[in-house]
Amino acid sequence: MENLQVDALVVGGGIAGMQAALDLADQGFKVVLVEREPSIGGKMITLSKVFPTLDCCSCITTPKMSSVAHHPNIQLLTYCELQSVTEAAEGFRVGVMQKPRYVDASKCTGCRNCEYECPITVPSPFDRGLGAYRAIRVPFSTAVPQAAVLDMENCILCGKCEKICAANAVDFTQQPETFDIHAATLIMASGFELTPLNAKKEYGGGALRNVIDPLMMERFLAPTGPYGRVLRPGDGKEPTSIAYVQCAGSRDTTLGVEYCSRVCCMYAIKQAMLISGALPLAEITIYYMDIRTFGKGYEQFYQNAQAMGVEFVRGKVASIREDAEQNPVVKVELTEESRTVERTHDLVVLSLGMLPATGSNEILGLPLGTDKFIAVPAPNASPCATAQPGVFVAGTAMGPMDIVDSIVTASAAAAAASAYIREHQKEAVYA
Amino acid sequence: MSELKVEAKSRSEMLKQLREAHAVTVEQAQGLLRAQKQMHQSICKFIRENPKTVPEIAAAIGKPTHEVLWFIAASKKYGLVVEVGMCGDYPLYQRAKEAQE
Amino acid sequence: MPENSVPENNPASAGEEIRVGVYTCHCGGNISHVVQCEQVAKLLGKLPDVVVTRTDPSFCSDTGQAIIEQDIKELGINRVVIGACAPSLHEQTFRGAVTRAGLNPYLYQHVGIREQDSWVHSSDHEGATEKAVRLMAAGVAKARLLTPLAPIRLSAEKQALVIGGGVAGLRSALDIARQGIRVTLVEKSPFLGGRMGQLESVFPLDEDPRQLLHDLIQELAAHPGITVLTQAEVTAVFGYVGNFNVQVTQHARGINDDIAEALMAACTQETTDEFNYGLTRRKVIYRPYPGCYPATPAVDWEHYNGEPIHVNGESIVLKDELQTYELTAGAVVLATGFNPYEPHQGEYGYSEIPQVITLPQLIRHLALLKDGDELTWNSSPVRDIALIHCVGSRELDGVHEPQADGQVNNYCSRVCCTASLHMAVELRQRFPKLNLYELYQDIRTYGRGHEEIYRHAQSSMVRFLRYHGDERPEVIAAPDGDTHPVLVRVKDYLTYGEEMEVPVDLVALAVGMMPRQVDDLVNMFKVARGADRFLLEAHPKLRPVEMAVRGIVLAGTAQGPMNLQESLSAASAAAAKVAALLGQGWVELPPFVAHVNLTKCNGAGACVKACREDGAITLQTFIEDGHEVQRAVVTPANCTGCGACVGACPNRAIDVQAWTLAQYEAMVDAIAMEYPAFVEIYR
Repeated sequence: MENLQVDALVVGGGIAGMQAALDLADQGFKVVLVEREPSIGGKMITLSKVFPTLDCCSCITTPKMSSVAHHPNIQLLTYCELQSVTEAAEGFRVGVMQKPRYVDASKCTGCRNCEYECPITVPSPFDRGLGAYRAIRVPFSTAVPQAAVLDMENCILCGKCEKICAANAVDFTQQPETFDIHAATLIMASGFELTPLNAKKEYGGGALRNVIDPLMMERFLAPTGPYGRVLRPGDGKEPTSIAYVQCAGSRDTTLGVEYCSRVCCMYAIKQAMLISGALPLAEITIYYMDIRTFGKGYEQFYQNAQAMGVEFVRGKVASIREDAEQNPVVKVELTEESRTVERTHDLVVLSLGMLPATGSNEILGLPLGTDKFIAVPAPNASPCATAQPGVFVAGTAMGPMDIVDSIVTASAAAAAASAYIREHQKEAVYA
Repeated sequence: MSELKVEAKSRSEMLKQLREAHAVTVEQAQGLLRAQKQMHQSICKFIRENPKTVPEIAAAIGKPTHEVLWFIAASKKYGLVVEVGMCGDYPLYQRAKEAQE
Repeated sequence: MPENSVPENNPASAGEEIRVGVYTCHCGGNISHVVQCEQVAKLLGKLPDVVVTRTDPSFCSDTGQAIIEQDIKELGINRVVIGACAPSLHEQTFRGAVTRAGLNPYLYQHVGIREQDSWVHSSDHEGATEKAVRLMAAGVAKARLLTPLAPIRLSAEKQALVIGGGVAGLRSALDIARQGIRVTLVEKSPFLGGRMGQLESVFPLDEDPRQLLHDLIQELAAHPGITVLTQAEVTAVFGYVGNFNVQVTQHARGINDDIAEALMAACTQETTDEFNYGLTRRKVIYRPYPGCYPATPAVDWEHYNGEPIHVNGESIVLKDELQTYELTAGAVVLATGFNPYEPHQGEYGYSEIPQVITLPQLIRHLALLKDGDELTWNSSPVRDIALIHCVGSRELDGVHEPQADGQVNNYCSRVCCTASLHMAVELRQRFPKLNLYELYQDIRTYGRGHEEIYRHAQSSMVRFLRYHGDERPEVIAAPDGDTHPVLVRVKDYLTYGEEMEVPVDLVALAVGMMPRQVDDLVNMFKVARGADRFLLEAHPKLRPVEMAVRGIVLAGTAQGPMNLQESLSAASAAAAKVAALLGQGWVELPPFVAHVNLTKCNGAGACVKACREDGAITLQTFIEDGHEVQRAVVTPANCTGCGACVGACPNRAIDVQAWTLAQYEAMVDAIAMEYPAFVEIYR
């Protein structure tokens, strides 16, 4: 068991957690960043390009990941689960369990020889299961730390990886490691989960292979994606007609999700533009109820998409079925024309919304809002303060928001946390 | 360092003990490996001479198209298969060894 | 390619072997989909002194940076050239990597082959590849002449200036002060609180905005590290990050607390009350609302006519006196806020039809009604009311009348949908018999708890009418004798495009947000505005609350439309940036400043005349061979590196460091060079 004493513990290594950690560390505070996955980067690192600037996503994310890894005031704990959080004198005691990577991350050079040697291929969650990696692998090309991780569930213990590793980093006998961390303040940046693809049965997600989720499309559009191009996952066809179903999982009382997920309009429009670039002949239709392009520069982005020929159809999608050629057939009520039509597409993207991530929120036992995201009792006074003094929230852990808003709330949470440390901790570790 | 590593007399003995300790998952993974080897062999046999599309491969080996595509994507990532042009709306794939000759 | 085709310049430091590493980034496809990066790398490898050339999907990633670091350590690379995105994005990232590897960070040259090449020549792959080669060859030519430099480290004042006393400015000031940094808050008007004080209830929790403000201001007023200056404006700015010297000019309060009440009571002169958006009049000695801060009434110097006011048999003439303060601030927060969009005359009948008002006016009008009063307007009962969304927002070029600057507001103002629906819910509660119409394009209740307000309105017998952006509703005066004074015409797509005519008693326009007029601040601080006229952040994701000018940060609606919660977040974020910047007590500036070669300078002083900055370059007396001579001397902290002196110097005695004339000449030669090998490949 390792004991750590820090000013702040940040839960979650996505964009919000990284930004909050960096802002605190830049002020001289000692920070531990705890991430559940083997690499930091969160959902953002899986995206292709980001709206409205169409910057390539890794150009924005990877340098932040690198800054976190190199910052002298940040200690990074990846592949870790929160075990317990208790109030303690002047702060919190947090129990963290680091899962075994079966690779000594301090020795691993990220050469990936083990990955090429490994005989077992498994679906990669980084590619939403549509791409693959090996039972031992570096999680993705720009992962931080750049170290392999072995998935014991799919390992035959053949020992090939251990043999080929020049750094002698593979260790099949690694055990979980626990950390006892004393932190003056906590920042919850535990993020979101995408609405499950099969949440709304009428839409056929999960059953119909060519009805996909938007993060799959992000991977198809990314240069490191599973196919290296946009293909539909059912049979590898290059789609010429692609449809987006907006509010699939948001603003839907039947799913118990009454709220708007804020990003779906913009990501659908962005993907439509990127697809137009990748497949100039493709026809793209967006079925929507209200277009919500409310951010800075977003309305212009929407107008540009209209000018590019993306078809916006105001309508409510009732159901999606499949024809004999695996083509999704969308039944849509055209709300401006009082009629229902069926339209056949090659590929349908369900513009799924955001649900709160589970796991660490429960460990803390923080009060949640009716939307199940972490409650912020006084949004118009302390927009990042949770119901628990000393615990702050950043990014999508407090509700759906886009990257810009996540980054701003992360900096705001860092400001609130640093003020709290100075006011409640007689001697900050930073001294 | 865990007890296992200390106790085991040799590397092979350690692996053997570990395999016993993880018997259930190891057996499942071995099953998976056999299926993947078979799939790999039948796909490679079909796309060795001439590049083929995913539906063509699927029809030839009697597997669903989405499974074949997943396997092709995986093989492509590790340099075993390459994309060589299009046939209509479908990309053509060939075994890397032959395609690069 | 023959090596002698490259002009040989003197190596930077005599005796040192120049070893250049050249890195061409794919930028995740952004560059490599257009530019043939491998060809670029191959060709650049033939340039003199180039030891290694590499490509990578993204050199800015940790793995990419590690490759460069490794080359520096293992191959002895001592000049690094990276062809990638614009330097504004990742120059600092790579300087960090170079430094970590033990090399001076200024021995690295960044070449922008994305913004300047692949993005603008996406349809000409060969041309773009050739351009990348030429740009990067120029980078190599320059890199060979680079010399080690050190950043200019200056002490930074642990003092910040916040401009704007609305909720964003208040929040920023408090959060900065809580980090142990002293703050001066400058507010133009006589009272703190800004636009928030004019609201009656804030969504989504229906809190009392003036209570929230009161709590915030109490905390701020009690903080020993904060100085508040009301009726004050920044009138001059000198200096730079860490040391902005700011002149603030403040009007006199002009009134003592002991006779304030009596003076206010005795004052008879009135003017339009901007607090109620012109719906009422107020005295020229006034408080906007009870409980305002400061509590001392203010004199409206702009409208006060100078006549004596009679109190207790005395005639008192109030006098304004301007007072000027000089203060030093390490960083500045711009929290200058917004104005509601003012519709032009005739827009939806505004300022022509008396029954057409704005939503902010309606909020004030309701606040002025007593509980239990019926809703009236100009003494007539209001039975039917229409709220029109997107007034001054989401405007289209060619459809909407441009404003004085020729532009339309093509942005969404974020708050108007929720504010209108919030109003509809309130109206329904207070006036159960009122007929309510909401005319909208898209309902944008995106925020937490906002969709619930929409649902509440939907279940509160509010009639929704949906129009298309290019077919905006029309508001006209009804013919005499009609039941209602106003007709709203709209093509409603909720009833499949039916042309509707809705007779109403009152129309409220949900006006959008416009930035406040801040031309003077923009000029003084030399900061940028976006196409939407709001202040422009340095980068929406990498530096979302910082401006391109270092040390200047943004808080709240000066940056763009935001609701209260978003303004508060942005304000706290701004405070985090200020705290990080000033926490160490020093800041570093890049060393790209003028440098005089004293052996070439003859003291003619042309550079001093050409210099546009105060005190950046001066003539000083030196003793040379027993004679007094004049020589130019640069004060690096004051120099912006503009190069005006370089052009003026007749002796080529001045250079801007890392951008020397010799380096420029080498770059020009490289760009214009013949490339036999290159031509061979592409013809």
